[in-house]
Amino acid sequence: MFGKSKPMWGERKKLKSSYDVVLIGGGLHSLATAYYLAKEQGITDVAIIEKNYIGYGGAGRNTAIVRANQRTQYNVPLYKEALDLWPVLTKELDYNLMFNNCGNLNLMHSEAAMKAARMTIATAQFHGVESHLIDAKEAKELVPALNISEDITYPIHGAMFHPPGGVVRHDAVVWGLAKGAAKLGVHIHQQTEATGINTRNGKVTGVVTDKGTINCKQVLVSAGGYSASLIHGFLGIKLPISVLTIQAMVTQPLKPLLNHVVSSGAYHCYANQTLKGEIATGAHMDQWPNYTTLNTAHYIKHQAEALSEFLPALRGLRFMRIWGGLADMTPDMAPIMDGNEQIEGFFMDCGWGYFGFKSCSAVGKYMAQFMATNECPDMLRPFNLKRYQEHKLMGETAALVNYTPDN
Amino acid sequence: MALTLTCPICGKRNGYEFRYGGEEKGPRPEEEGMTPESWCEYVHLNECKAGVQEEWWFHRDGCGSWFKTFRDTTTNLEQPTPAREE
Repeated sequence: MFGKSKPMWGERKKLKSSYDVVLIGGGLHSLATAYYLAKEQGITDVAIIEKNYIGYGGAGRNTAIVRANQRTQYNVPLYKEALDLWPVLTKELDYNLMFNNCGNLNLMHSEAAMKAARMTIATAQFHGVESHLIDAKEAKELVPALNISEDITYPIHGAMFHPPGGVVRHDAVVWGLAKGAAKLGVHIHQQTEATGINTRNGKVTGVVTDKGTINCKQVLVSAGGYSASLIHGFLGIKLPISVLTIQAMVTQPLKPLLNHVVSSGAYHCYANQTLKGEIATGAHMDQWPNYTTLNTAHYIKHQAEALSEFLPALRGLRFMRIWGGLADMTPDMAPIMDGNEQIEGFFMDCGWGYFGFKSCSAVGKYMAQFMATNECPDMLRPFNLKRYQEHKLMGETAALVNYTPDN
Repeated sequence: MALTLTCPICGKRNGYEFRYGGEEKGPRPEEEGMTPESWCEYVHLNECKAGVQEEWWFHRDGCGSWFKTFRDTTTNLEQPTPAREE
């Protein structure tokens, strides 16, 4: 019985010696890019090369939260489009992605934070994204379990309420996009490790893997937390990235209690109740770069303290499962999407930090357009690598929670 | 895995006493002839090694010294200083 089941994205294909496009990394950004390359750009001779299995990395290790309440004019439209795509993709892929737009509630714990939230809300509203400021009493009406008393470490002053956000079943997105891409002819090669990128005269000529060399003219590295290390190892290109482990955990299941995604920058904590009843919670990053994806006693304790302060009903609960993923953090908290700049035919999509999941659908669409036309779409233009040299850093550090190794 | 670091003054301590100071990138570039590219490289760009790298640490909750050490980023374990290549 075991070993005979077929993956839903079709038969295992033989690795060809040449493809038009090779995508390194079997996560959501690669899967989405492959899907849109095939669906919208008519490029179906595409291979996805994944060292482990699809969804092994950040795609399967996030907390499933989606939202479009970022800070800057460049980021908000991208995430808004991603958010709008969930119901569309559910239909298109004929696969239930379990999008639950329960809304996000970002708690503010000082007058200064309220002021910052006003600016973020103004940006959101300017771009047609629903978002408003509410006071502590209104927050309590939305989430009766909230502790709005003055007698906690960071009393709640109010909150930024963003109704269109929520959660999407992250594994379903992996499987759905893999199914959709494979159906259109994309080859997904799991257990295939990329070990190098071949170039000649400043042009990409192929990808070296542990199963042989693949000739191609275009390659995209979108390997989540491993992108920076791979890009430097393969091509010697250094990136403004620090890779940190981010930790998450779920409690034992409870009756329905939390109807929204609740997050707090001051407590360094976010939480939502899954459809199974567990409280999924996280936000902590190690303060030094590492690739361990392990949890630490230090943060489990912190998480328990934070949750039991602002949601006191959760006191005494047990954590059932814990896990860690990788976040590739940039200095301005915005991603790096670039291509044809350093080497012709070489594209990168990395530096997503802890928000690669919520953006994958829209990014896949634009990266596919970028690779098919060799012209950077306007939407992606501000995210090039050069911005760090040109001192055009984005203001995303002013968004909700800011993590760097310096915290 | 939990991190411990060996401070040259205080000895082996809990990793949370320290602040990470970045990858070792050699001396700060000279002001004379400095370009936005070379300054960006020094300030922002990293190798992000999945493996052993040399890095700076600051003993924030201890003696306050800055020091360099080798650490394997895939295990969080300190590594002996490699023999110098002649």
